[in-house]
Amino acid sequence: MKICTRCIYDATIPGISFDEQGVCSYCKQVDDLSKIYQTGLPEGEKKFQQIILEIKNAGRGKKYDCVIGVSGGTDSSFLLLKALEWGLRPLAVHYDNTWNSAIASENIRKVTNKLKIDLSTYVVDNKEADDIFRSFLLAGVPEFDASTDIGFVQVLRSTAAKYKIKHILEGHSFKAEGISPQGKNYFDGKYIESIHRQYGKVKMKTFPNLTFFQFMKWVLIYRQQFIRPLWYIEYSKPEARKILEESTGWAYYGGHHLENRATSFLHTVYNPQKFDIDNRNWSLAAEVRSGILPREEALKIYNTPIVPDPELIMYIKKRLDISDNDYNAIMTGPKRSFRNFKTYKKRFERLRLFFYLLAKGNLVPMSFYLKYCFPLSDEKK
Amino acid sequence: MLRTRVIPCLQLVNESLVKSVKFGKYHYIGDPINTVRIFNELEVDELCFLDIRATLEKRPPNFEILHQIAEECFMPLSYGGAIKDAITAQKILSIGFEKIVINTAAFSNPLLISEIASHSGSQSVMCSMDVRKNIWGKYEVCSHDGTKKETVNAVEWAIKLEQLGAGELLVTSMDKEGTWSGYDVAVTKSIANAVNIPVIANGGAGSIQDMADVLRFAGASAVGVGSMVVYQKKGMGVLINFPDKDQLNHILK
Amino acid sequence: MITIINYGMGNLGSILNMFKRIGAEAQVCDKVEEIAKAEKLLLPGVGAFDAAIKCIDSIVGLRDVLNMKVQVEKVPLLGICLGMQLITDNSEEGNLPGLGFITGKTLRFEANDELKVPHMGWNLVKEIRKSPLTKDLQEDSRFYFVHSYYVKVEQSECQIMTSKYGKDFDSVIQKDNIFGAQFHPEKSHKFGMKLLENFARI
Repeated sequence: MKICTRCIYDATIPGISFDEQGVCSYCKQVDDLSKIYQTGLPEGEKKFQQIILEIKNAGRGKKYDCVIGVSGGTDSSFLLLKALEWGLRPLAVHYDNTWNSAIASENIRKVTNKLKIDLSTYVVDNKEADDIFRSFLLAGVPEFDASTDIGFVQVLRSTAAKYKIKHILEGHSFKAEGISPQGKNYFDGKYIESIHRQYGKVKMKTFPNLTFFQFMKWVLIYRQQFIRPLWYIEYSKPEARKILEESTGWAYYGGHHLENRATSFLHTVYNPQKFDIDNRNWSLAAEVRSGILPREEALKIYNTPIVPDPELIMYIKKRLDISDNDYNAIMTGPKRSFRNFKTYKKRFERLRLFFYLLAKGNLVPMSFYLKYCFPLSDEKK
Repeated sequence: MLRTRVIPCLQLVNESLVKSVKFGKYHYIGDPINTVRIFNELEVDELCFLDIRATLEKRPPNFEILHQIAEECFMPLSYGGAIKDAITAQKILSIGFEKIVINTAAFSNPLLISEIASHSGSQSVMCSMDVRKNIWGKYEVCSHDGTKKETVNAVEWAIKLEQLGAGELLVTSMDKEGTWSGYDVAVTKSIANAVNIPVIANGGAGSIQDMADVLRFAGASAVGVGSMVVYQKKGMGVLINFPDKDQLNHILK
Repeated sequence: MITIINYGMGNLGSILNMFKRIGAEAQVCDKVEEIAKAEKLLLPGVGAFDAAIKCIDSIVGLRDVLNMKVQVEKVPLLGICLGMQLITDNSEEGNLPGLGFITGKTLRFEANDELKVPHMGWNLVKEIRKSPLTKDLQEDSRFYFVHSYYVKVEQSECQIMTSKYGKDFDSVIQKDNIFGAQFHPEKSHKFGMKLLENFARI
């Protein structure tokens, strides 16, 4: 099977193509983005300093000048540190889906307290969160953790609006994390609504869903801007971890997004076992691209099966009130996709030009435009 | 003896964790089981769960949740909320809780305390008293989640509870709760002076210094913490945490 | 397999939970025939001395089986909290005789202004002599205590660890195959886990 000669993405990745040297289109995408944003180069730094100035100006007279979404993970924690270095006055915002691990809570505490940054948290009702999680399992779709991702964005945006802040900083780095492959995974607010309507039992009262209407409100009326500092400046995850450990006592939790138990279940059990999806290739490929990990090493890791934590599976069954039989039925049951449910996907595709303009104006992230406004590759066939 | 116990007092309303201010409105905090897991990993000294609305809402204790909590905890646990008879108390103890907490039931059935103490030992009975200052400056006791004023005064009630067999007293200041302004040292002191059993000061902690003050000036044997362990800081977001161990050891002894 | 004796008093749930967490096989037993087959015994206990003895004696044949298992077959036995007090000869808390596996008595802490009774909270332990039960426990190990009475063994060789509350008292005791811990390992985090792991390996 064809594997990229530069990273480790293989031919099974949707939408992938290879050039004459065998280098994949995702590597090319990362290269293109590096060029556009001049990542780690003086031009990129300059552009970013400009953005910082804008943020400071816009925030004058307000209590905070930017909002930073935090999870206790490497990127967001590092961003808090850097924000202070850049002279910004951030408000840390956390969406608590009630499945945080102790290490995540501790990391958030250590970093925000050491750096003296205020933290605003939105906690969803645990019964509602669990009901939505259970609904996604019963629906047989891979996007188990969609509610966390959507809830996070909605909370970021509504908190920014509450404090009249226009700039939202995100810790995504295409170099360190890669662009997630256009996969079978998709999520939006309508998708969550549809699945919940069919399988949910608890009324959604506290879950911060991002409906199209809300989305347009934030984008057009509040005009919040998403800034990704790590797209402009040099960033290495291992180095960031070291700095965080030394300056705040932050601790590494051992894997992408493993600081939250629900996300951990998605990546280490549900996706691999039911859908044969192994998302470790995102970060592994990125590490190979940036020279942190040798390609052979990465391939070896990727080819070793994920070892699921039996305690995590027990916790899922207990917390979501699923019997052993029902759990087995879910794991071996039919595999569905977002196409079996009502979503906003077609609408986003129809409005492609509109969102392109919004992305250009930094009103929606460019990655949003790339991911949502194009038909997913397996439809192109 | 090691440094004094610092006990997160978590308020349960059926299946959710909440936090009230001055026994008034309460704010949603999160999932009790996950929170317990976090405290477990933080190796806190002890946990106290109080289902503050169980009696008023005429609900029995939620044994299912208590069972799940006990399975996750490798430190002492106490539970209070609608414990009206010895059988319920025994059931809770056998699930894996070290102590049961009695508040409202003590007014209508004081002998319940003696009954539980004689079977399971007084160390398994924590009596909780909610106190506030009235307009004459005297400390009165309330029951039913602070909604009903009782006729006895705080010190008298504490002495009575000790006589009935309580192993410990949890004294919560209704005026100070959730305010981050420090414990009510005066009422804690008057009660601690009047009884020989350990008194846990509760309500109002805003800093480790507040804890040190109430231990030193009021003679409390342990402290309860609420807001401090569920919020990042006063006025800010929910964040389950526990004060830094080294700092606690240094300031509290 | 560790057999936890269910005589009607004790925090069985917590003990089972901790054994489960450390991966040791354990079961709760209230039938004398089953206890007679045990490879290893654990005697829990929360509550009053006499109430516990009455419960034990109300189970026909239990005392005899315990005597046989412990004194004759020399099966390892660990008594926790009240369980440790029960294996002594008697207690000031009550009038009934203890199991008498380790010669000693159980006495009441004297309350005063400085010393509140019960002794309730986390405390340190001091090693007097080595024992397989306390092997590799880290030096600053702390355990959760909650008791109003303490044990004083007659033979000093039986003292393994002491703790201080007002005065020094025996917190871990051993005589051959018989062990006692005054604190609650099942409620003492990783410190308790280490101790129970050691017991599982004996």
